[in-house]
Amino acid sequence: MRQWWPSNLRSRLTFWYVGVLAVLLVVYATLVFAFQYVVLSKQIVHDEIQDVETVEGLLFFDSTGTLQLRQDYYSRPQSHLLIDRMMEVRDPSGIVLYRSPTLKGMSLGGPTRPGEGDADFGERLTRLDDGTHVLLISHIHGMDNRQLLIRLGYSLAPLRARMLQFLLVLLIAIPLALLMAAIAGQAIARRALRPIERMATRAEGITAKNLQDRLEILNPEDELGHLASVFNHLLNRLEQSFEQLQRFTADVAHELRTPIAALRTIGEVALEDDRGERSCKEALSSILEETSRLSETIDALLLLARAEATQGAREPKAWPLKSVVDEVLALLEVLSEEKSLNVFQEGGALGEGSIRADRGLLRTAIMNVLHNAIKFSPEGGVVRVSYSRSETDPQILQLLVQDEGAGIAKGEHDRVFERFFTSSARETAIYSGTGLGLSVAKLIIERLGGSIRFDVQATSGARCLIELPVIGREQ
Amino acid sequence: MSRILIIEDDKKMSDALASGVQAAGYDVLTAASAEEGFYLVHSRHPDLLLLDLTLPHRNGLDILRQLRQEGIDMRVLILTSHNTVEDRIAGLSTGADDYLGKPFSFPELLARIDALLRRFLPSKNEPQILIGDLRLDRKSRAAMRGGEVLELTPREFELLLYLAENTGRTVSREMLARDVWRETSRFTPIDNVIDVQVARLRKKIDDPFKIKLLQTVRGLGFSLREPQH
Repeated sequence: MRQWWPSNLRSRLTFWYVGVLAVLLVVYATLVFAFQYVVLSKQIVHDEIQDVETVEGLLFFDSTGTLQLRQDYYSRPQSHLLIDRMMEVRDPSGIVLYRSPTLKGMSLGGPTRPGEGDADFGERLTRLDDGTHVLLISHIHGMDNRQLLIRLGYSLAPLRARMLQFLLVLLIAIPLALLMAAIAGQAIARRALRPIERMATRAEGITAKNLQDRLEILNPEDELGHLASVFNHLLNRLEQSFEQLQRFTADVAHELRTPIAALRTIGEVALEDDRGERSCKEALSSILEETSRLSETIDALLLLARAEATQGAREPKAWPLKSVVDEVLALLEVLSEEKSLNVFQEGGALGEGSIRADRGLLRTAIMNVLHNAIKFSPEGGVVRVSYSRSETDPQILQLLVQDEGAGIAKGEHDRVFERFFTSSARETAIYSGTGLGLSVAKLIIERLGGSIRFDVQATSGARCLIELPVIGREQ
Repeated sequence: MSRILIIEDDKKMSDALASGVQAAGYDVLTAASAEEGFYLVHSRHPDLLLLDLTLPHRNGLDILRQLRQEGIDMRVLILTSHNTVEDRIAGLSTGADDYLGKPFSFPELLARIDALLRRFLPSKNEPQILIGDLRLDRKSRAAMRGGEVLELTPREFELLLYLAENTGRTVSREMLARDVWRETSRFTPIDNVIDVQVARLRKKIDDPFKIKLLQTVRGLGFSLREPQH
């Protein structure tokens, strides 16, 4: 059904352009045609009125009482309208007193109408017996105390012939003009769209291998330049995430290789070992522990993928931050008790601010941060959790977690959030987990529209500052 | 003896499952494809089906759907690495009785099989549980050992109760995380929490006594039982 519809933009543009032009031309031609017709008809009537006045002076009754038209007038130069003039003169009773030879004995306009020619010239269209259309006017003229009704008309045939000619010219000229417009339109559209074609060819050539390629921007001011720069920005982001993905894949492969190497070694050594069932069981247990670490890494990777897809603003529910922190602290309580840590919260009232989030993910983020703080705290230390509002933006809720552990090594404040990062500091190496906890936390918090960082200025222990947008009171 | 059919195309997995389930005292059949599985279902009438979802030629859910359409009354436990909430819902709504994501812990699989076949009648109705000289009172939530009342926190009591209900069996960290801590997933902090909590519980119920009831099974989990001599 849509097969007639041109598929490319260029032809569609031309199609619309020509279509609109055609409508405009037809409307214009119709108006001109009608105007021309009306003006020419008026001109005829005007000529007829003048002619009637001329004729009135030329009419006379001869000696026999017959109405005659003075013929010597013909000697003067005259328009062919005068030669074509059709005239009939009647007396009030309707008897024809004079009929011009041009009428060839036919009646002009039929019987007298009541009041005809009284007030004005009463112009009207009529048809002679031979089918000629005539535009005639009537006028009452008093002569020798007699009332004469003069009817005078001209055939419309010459006018119609002229209008027909005009119509023919239009019928030929309009399609011709449209054809030219279409050709010109195609050419203009092709020219205008050529840069897009070039861009498309260029973009088609960009694959994973040459993601660093960019589109050339001819004129940054025009729409195409804008389009190209938008496209280039897209490529920038794509290249970045592609690089990130590549790095990440390499990291994952590396991280998975380590436990698999361990599994392999344990298995091989156990098979070579002849010390019997006991050492065999020992090896199997190590293998199981190792697989459990592997599965934790995989779970963390899946969690990253899930966090990647979340977006705080789209979450239907919001949760008071403090309730989540309380829940996490309750869960981890046994760990802090074991180390006789003193965990306390400050500014709890501010913590009632609600965060729009997937509760499970928010909880995971906070759990990872608090678990780190507890893990790295020394025996009997203090973990301080405090809430505050940002000084620059009251819609930002800040959560500060401070411990008395070894703190973050110099230059590693940003790197601790990298995936699979393990600190070079010796005292933290023994605590190595999946190496994903903080990067999971960072990803989740950033997806919720917040930020997380470690205070570089902290002199003792680590100070982790989490900022999250709270939902307004009206919500 | 209850008969269990395992439909799993991975040979190693299938062999390991078969020997483990057999060792737990069940009659085991294995099938590597849907066709073989259907044949065994109709000819040997197993009581329970362990069904892998990714099979050659035919999806496990298809098999399940057909079995349910045929009106075959059989417990079905799905084992799969497709482990999202949506997969779980799809499996259960197709007619599975339970769903276990790979990798799972074997003790947990056994616990689920036992529960589905009701081999161990739930001891939940008994007001008291006795393991050696350890006595748990469900109603008063009190634990006693050798005539001494043990001072347990609510969480410790719950942990002990769960271990006691599963006495004789190894309980994995996954099971504890889900059934005692009610966490939907297992992660590093919860593992630490479980280990520390178990260590503290052990300090209270075992340290003062000569006979140790709470054992750590390395790589598997924990088990509460009277030591066999």
